[in-house]
Amino acid sequence: MNHVLNIEHLSVSYARKGLALEDIHLQVPKGKIVALLGANGAGKTTMIRAISGLLSLHHGQITQGQIHFDGQLINSVPAHRLVRQGMAQVPEGRLIFKQLSVLDNLLVGAAILPRAQVADRLEAVYHLFPRLLERKTQSAGWLSGGEQQMLALGRALIAKPQLLLVDELSLGLAPLIVEAIYKQLVVVGETLGTSMLIVEQNARIALEFADTAYILDRGRIAFNGTADEVKNSDLIKDSYLGTRQTQGTTS
Amino acid sequence: MSTSIVPLQKSNLGLKIIQWGTILAILAYVPIILTDRAIFGIRLSNMQLLNLGLTQINLMLIAMLGALSLNFLTGSAGLISIGHAAFYAVGAMTGAVVGTQLGAPFVLVLLAAAITGALVGVLAGLPSLRVRGLYFVLSTMAVHYIVVFVFSEYQYKFFDVVGVPFNEAQIAGFAFSTPIRWYFFLIATVMAVYFGFKHILNTREGRAMMAMRDQELAATSAGIDVRILRLKAFALSSAVASVAGVLYAYYLTNVTAEFFNIQFAIQFIAMIIIGGMGSLGGSLIGAAIWLLLPSIITGFASQAGVTTGIVQRMLVDNKPQLVQLIFGLLVIILLIFAPGGISGLIKQVRLRWAALWGRS
Repeated sequence: MNHVLNIEHLSVSYARKGLALEDIHLQVPKGKIVALLGANGAGKTTMIRAISGLLSLHHGQITQGQIHFDGQLINSVPAHRLVRQGMAQVPEGRLIFKQLSVLDNLLVGAAILPRAQVADRLEAVYHLFPRLLERKTQSAGWLSGGEQQMLALGRALIAKPQLLLVDELSLGLAPLIVEAIYKQLVVVGETLGTSMLIVEQNARIALEFADTAYILDRGRIAFNGTADEVKNSDLIKDSYLGTRQTQGTTS
Repeated sequence: MSTSIVPLQKSNLGLKIIQWGTILAILAYVPIILTDRAIFGIRLSNMQLLNLGLTQINLMLIAMLGALSLNFLTGSAGLISIGHAAFYAVGAMTGAVVGTQLGAPFVLVLLAAAITGALVGVLAGLPSLRVRGLYFVLSTMAVHYIVVFVFSEYQYKFFDVVGVPFNEAQIAGFAFSTPIRWYFFLIATVMAVYFGFKHILNTREGRAMMAMRDQELAATSAGIDVRILRLKAFALSSAVASVAGVLYAYYLTNVTAEFFNIQFAIQFIAMIIIGGMGSLGGSLIGAAIWLLLPSIITGFASQAGVTTGIVQRMLVDNKPQLVQLIFGLLVIILLIFAPGGISGLIKQVRLRWAALWGRS
């Protein structure tokens, strides 16, 4: 089994009305970074919800297909249990615990680890994002956007997940910070062997760091391939990334 | 475990012992001052004692238990409840059945109250699995009316309009026959509950609870089963409130169902807003202000009554209204200028102080 995540024929609907996702096939190979791109409303966040078991909270349900995580069918496994099986998530908007300190935020993420490992993992996260160490005792609500994203990533990564799901990593962040964060994620992938599925609107930066990419359009996979293939496809440039005429980002 | 990761401020053990010794000595001396109406043999006037008696202090201590438990539920776990009087009522009713009717010893009564409180708490928490926010608040109000209805039916069936009588509380032959005896028992209970909650908030489950309060979705994606955690928070909070209820009933020796009205529940919300949402120390401050201020205001008003100016007359004639007015203003002022309540205010001042002196 060299796919950490294997999605076949997945269809999802909200409140039994219409299909938000239709017949999706998607694989995340072990240790690779996969980018999931697409315009607003394409179904990217729905994908993340379906994988992480949060669909029911939004009155959605899987109507068809299978999601296998680490070889196990996880269609109806509740979100909190998936985390214990090694799936971590950075939700859209980061959703850090604002009233808790940076350290406590990380400790909440570390709660599923054996106690003996907590100190080591904490060290590793601080090493990855030294800014968090500086701000350790501060309330997380006082962090800047970039620091909050680092904290959300640290909180997800502290438990050594096999698979990391990130929703809208670059949203509202300065390009330099986004790049720094991506570089650290590549380091995580290399050292821990963590596989990642990253949802992005900023296609350019995602394609720079991802191994493979999928493009969603109105609930279907419109294109998929290696990052280079996606980058060089004219069709993709025109219809989904809008990078042909203008050189600006597409967010 | 947390101490190894969280390097606390370097604690000076000697200083700590002195601090705690002083606090305990003062706490032990307070009831003596209030009973003798004198400090170190020097007689104090009623006004110098702020018109306070030991009974008010004892009722305050009981209210502190209620405020602590509500602040644990609302401030730390993020579950707003206006049904807290119901858990007092559950405790009082358990006391009536187990203590008054079955004649069980006080310790057993307390235990029974804690257990029934936890059970009813889980039931009251069940709607939280489906509904959120305002809808959940309404469901706690429904719980309140159901419990009070059951209590009053029970009261009229077995007792009468006068209310449910309670025996004198006693533990292992030590009878709580005087306010001063109650005082020492209550202060120990408040301390135990305070430090108990404080400890829980420092564990994994406690942190998970606060995470759930801040961001439910993110807490779920951090591996927390928020449904179970909610019920646990409810069970613990209502067990404590129920114990407070049975203590309240035993202290007053007679209660009726009408005691536990919705205002009774709302006063706890006011206490934790005044004291500081999410701060255990704030709950104590809030309960102290709520229970003691009326008496202090009344004291000043009657003092003012000695002379006969128009303002003084007005003060004397409108004592209860005056108390309510001051509380109303206090809550509004705090909400505007210190949303963190008095404990939040203290924290701010401390931070500013630290910044001023270059310490952090």
